[in-house]
Amino acid sequence: MTLLRTPAPTDATPAEPGRTRLRRRRGRADRKPRVALAVTALFFALLYLPIAVVVLFSFNTIKSLTVFDGFGLRWYRAFLHDEVLINSLGTSLKISLVAMAGSVLLGTALALGLVRCRTRLGSVAGLIMLVPLITPEIVTGVASMLLFKGLGVTLSTGTVMISEITFSISYVTVILRSRVAALNPEVEEAAMDLGATRWQAVRLVTLPALLPAVLACSVLIFALVFDDFVLAYFTTGVDPQPLSVRIYSAIRFGVQPTINAVGTLMLAGSIGLIALALFIPRLFGRRGGLDLLSGK
Amino acid sequence: MEATPATPAVRLDGVSKRYADSYAVRDVHLDIEAGEFFSLLGPSGCGKTTSLRMIGGFTDPTEGAVLLGGEDVTALPPNKRNVNTVFQSYALFDHLSIADNIAFGLKRKGVDKAEIRRRVGEMLELVQLSGQSRRKPGTLSGGQRQRVALARALVNRPAVLLLDEPLAALDLKLRRQMQVELKQIQREVGITFVFVTHDQDEALTMSDRVAVMNEGRVEQCGTPEDVYEHPASRFVASFMGTSNLMAGTYRDGAVLLDEGPALSVGHRDDVGEGTSVSVSVRPEKIWLSDFEPGMEVLRGVIRETVYSGPTTTYLIELAPGVTLSVLEQNTARARMEDRWIGGETVEFGWRPEHCLVLS
Repeated sequence: MTLLRTPAPTDATPAEPGRTRLRRRRGRADRKPRVALAVTALFFALLYLPIAVVVLFSFNTIKSLTVFDGFGLRWYRAFLHDEVLINSLGTSLKISLVAMAGSVLLGTALALGLVRCRTRLGSVAGLIMLVPLITPEIVTGVASMLLFKGLGVTLSTGTVMISEITFSISYVTVILRSRVAALNPEVEEAAMDLGATRWQAVRLVTLPALLPAVLACSVLIFALVFDDFVLAYFTTGVDPQPLSVRIYSAIRFGVQPTINAVGTLMLAGSIGLIALALFIPRLFGRRGGLDLLSGK
Repeated sequence: MEATPATPAVRLDGVSKRYADSYAVRDVHLDIEAGEFFSLLGPSGCGKTTSLRMIGGFTDPTEGAVLLGGEDVTALPPNKRNVNTVFQSYALFDHLSIADNIAFGLKRKGVDKAEIRRRVGEMLELVQLSGQSRRKPGTLSGGQRQRVALARALVNRPAVLLLDEPLAALDLKLRRQMQVELKQIQREVGITFVFVTHDQDEALTMSDRVAVMNEGRVEQCGTPEDVYEHPASRFVASFMGTSNLMAGTYRDGAVLLDEGPALSVGHRDDVGEGTSVSVSVRPEKIWLSDFEPGMEVLRGVIRETVYSGPTTTYLIELAPGVTLSVLEQNTARARMEDRWIGGETVEFGWRPEHCLVLS
């Protein structure tokens, strides 16, 4: 039903036939599939080793990026005292929040509009909406920069926000459109039948039905925007810079272990967001007693 | 809500709905009296749901006017009309509890909280859901959901309640039970019900009056007895149960069947000499013995005997290609060996007034 809903528990279903088949294949299943295990291990090593190194060295007590001396919070402390980095973190959070709010608002409205509007114009708009998803981000980035330059707009945090919103609307719309299409149109009619105006029907009935998907979508957009680099790089002003751009600039003048600490914090934040996105639909589960929108 | 007997609760005045180049509803004139249980009956695509939606305000008529209690509401949106709808899908608000679902309309109207609580409680009692008020619709059975939808609409005390095939999703047993309950509730609250269904049994058992629709038009409007006993058209006759339609030509007080004998039907002023007509006799109006004087009595061959508990249905071939269905109570011929079997030739007959001529 919902975008990020975890698969329903299926523990009981295949029990009997599955077990007998397993027993019959015991001979083959007993030998461990060594090749497959090795490939899997290699895959995860390649995927997570660099990240593990970053996490490990963020706790290093010395400045070296090659020798691990011992655990300590030196670089976290250094990060907390690095005003420029803290500023950038704040800027990134601000950009992500604004971009999230803006794109979810506009994207939800667009999803509603595209599903309801069955004219040719509507389907054309639906296709155009997909273009940002397949356009290489660097093209979008350069194009946005040129547009702002051409309009004589000074690049700033504001221009990053506008670009990120523009870019993220497509994601929101693609995700929510199928949800909107799955809604029963009679439910909105029922609300109007019971005295609601069209807008009240959307606000009181349609949006609550979409809420789990909208929230999950918001978390996703927040994460996407927060660690976006390309678009931010082309559209940001000089000061303050978003965190990703700041880190990139910092690295050009030699890698500071502080970056490891920042990276580890970002990682922890991302894991938290993903967990949240997975958890949100459960809050609205059938048995869930949470009644976030009953209007009381 | 109070309408004088002269003012119908609902009037469809020459209403049509055209999509591109086809009509969903075509020139429908209907008067529905206050307090009536009125059914719109017809096959799918006959325009009955479109007609209902035009009364509710969800579909704008292309031509004609919709009047509620004498007032022209054609241009008013659904939220400005004093009617409420029970939707086919029930359309409950899944994020709200049952009590909040039912209270939705009253909250929109700004009724005060104590009053809302009282009326919601009343409704829950009426539909036998007291004690379930905090549950969410997702946890209810089909029959319970149906009741919530009904309560949510009725609590607003509309002048007219519109019901769009509300029983279609229920299994047969629950359906029968809800038919009785709905009728009782309607009697209790005294609200005009406009009920859309494709089930002729349902329409016959529940309605005060029925409008039989076909291809966007009302073919006949009358009491259940009217439309069943005196169908105005071949369509109505065939849609309302089994009707043994036989094609033939009318000539001088008789219909000469295309295949088979001439049937005496009495002189008809409304049917021209030599016109093609259909003759219809209901299965339960055909006798197999104890004929009375003046009856039309014919002979045919039993092709099939279908025993179904209280009744037996015989398929009797009158002539090649003309087979009549005959329904008999298992009263006189209660034992198996008394009933006819395939291949036997029997006499059967009907009273002349039960033989309908349809053009």
